[in-house]
Amino acid sequence: MHKMFSDKRAVIAFLLPALILFTVVLFSPICYSIYISLCDWKALKPPTFVGLKNYIKLFTRDEIFGIAVKNTLFFMVFSVVSQLVVGLLYAGLLTNIKHGRNFFKNVIYLPCVLSSAALGLMFCFLLKPTLGINQLLALLGIEGPMWLTEYTGFIPLPMWVIAFVALWQYVGQNMMLYMAQIMGISKSLYEASYVDGATKVQSFTHITMPLIKPMLATAMSLNCIGSLKFFDLVYNMTQGGPNHVTENIATWLYYKGMGLFQYGYASAISVVLLVLCMLTTLLVNKVIRVENYEM
Amino acid sequence: MQLDLTSKAQLGKKKISISKILIYTFLIFVTVIYIAPLLWIVMVSFKTNKELFTNPFGFPEVIQTENYVYSWVNGRLGISLINSTIVSVSTLVISMLVGSMAAFAIARLRFKINNQVLTYFLIGMMVPAHCLLIPMFIMLAKVNLANTLIGLIIPYATFALPLTIYIMTGFFRGIPNELFEAACIDGCSIGRIFSQIALPMSRTGLFVTGLMSFVSTWNELLLAMCFISSPEKKTLPVALTYFVGPYETNYVKMFSAIVIAVLPTIIVYSMFSNQIVEGLTQGAVKG
Repeated sequence: MHKMFSDKRAVIAFLLPALILFTVVLFSPICYSIYISLCDWKALKPPTFVGLKNYIKLFTRDEIFGIAVKNTLFFMVFSVVSQLVVGLLYAGLLTNIKHGRNFFKNVIYLPCVLSSAALGLMFCFLLKPTLGINQLLALLGIEGPMWLTEYTGFIPLPMWVIAFVALWQYVGQNMMLYMAQIMGISKSLYEASYVDGATKVQSFTHITMPLIKPMLATAMSLNCIGSLKFFDLVYNMTQGGPNHVTENIATWLYYKGMGLFQYGYASAISVVLLVLCMLTTLLVNKVIRVENYEM
Repeated sequence: MQLDLTSKAQLGKKKISISKILIYTFLIFVTVIYIAPLLWIVMVSFKTNKELFTNPFGFPEVIQTENYVYSWVNGRLGISLINSTIVSVSTLVISMLVGSMAAFAIARLRFKINNQVLTYFLIGMMVPAHCLLIPMFIMLAKVNLANTLIGLIIPYATFALPLTIYIMTGFFRGIPNELFEAACIDGCSIGRIFSQIALPMSRTGLFVTGLMSFVSTWNELLLAMCFISSPEKKTLPVALTYFVGPYETNYVKMFSAIVIAVLPTIIVYSMFSNQIVEGLTQGAVKG
């Protein structure tokens, strides 16, 4: 037994395909990307090494990149907080009811599996200035706002709209993660607490909350990364417009790299994005220190 | 004492029934928010353009099936559907096979750096695909895989690996050791232990990771938009974005295309949806 399971050839045979794929497709492009970001490289001309010039331009002269970072950070904070609260609320409610749990769970998770390109197009139509939701509001005598074309304010209205649509679409993912963790908690803990006279709310705050801490860290870091790289809904609802006010890091990267073919500059943006992802993940896992309880 | 307990229990019951009504009302309200937009798309996709603008929220007067015919034929949705299927299914098979092999090695085989290898794979979860857009675009062109479906499948499968490995490692660790010992005594090879004991025992995990990688591949937009340039190789989400440009006025056709594009994921989802929580509990929580 011991011999067979520590056979070197077996280890290599099982691990090698994944290691090769991972190293070639994921890690070598990261290194290549760092190199490209140090070059001046526009599609047809050969690359020339320019050192940190792209980064200096990015942080000192690119105003739209500033807007993009602001929008991305707003979006990240909004989604992490809102998804945590709403996701926990759904999970807490659904694990406490007996009838229809699967039905409600499946309904709330449903938008997660749908194409955000498709949903983006739908909301784009529903939120047009004179159509969809504004038509309904007009029936009530309310003049609806310009949902997706308003461009004033520090965080313009379209950004809020996109953030709420994203909450609507993706909160199911968080709910699932929390439900999975809650289902893993032993029933006897709750029974013991009820015998001691605890209410449902008390048992939620004193048993469930501390025990789902590990999943909190996982879900929050997944949320952070998901919102840092958020692209599909923005692209399909506003394309970064009007006048770049809803641009975020991913759409700006796409525009520079694939619209204007400035490979070097776009790579610098992607390196910044990668660093942001790593930093937030580390931060989340530092802040939420995971203590191991016996479950 | 006895009396006290029963009266307390009754009190609890009464309280719960009021809170239950509140909970269910809230949940039904939430359900409406989630279902209504989706039903609205289906309804609109059977209308004429004129009806859409005059009466967007009513039922269609005459059911217009020609919208579907138009978007299927003129929007080239048929070929996109085939492309998306090829890409998603190949990604699914590759990532599940390669991923669960690696997870089996990490969870069950004995070598010194199991945890370090797992960490190496999990770093992949932190890397957004967008960061690799430009280098991969250049690299694919160099190896002549730009504008091919294989050029999409390879990155997709790789990006699905970290989650697959994470969840499947949890499942494989949960299988009791005695099973493997018994198989060893019966003379099973390591390959057969993997394929005939470990994999079937972790079916739920396979469903969950499979569903997740299928769904994310089916819906992926950015890489598909950048790596594929010829119209006959586009995947569904990319084909959808074309309805906005050249067919600007033809919203009803766009909505029928949207219905066609999301239907397969809904079907796959409804087959496996009940396994998700169970799968996550075993894989991600206990692992």
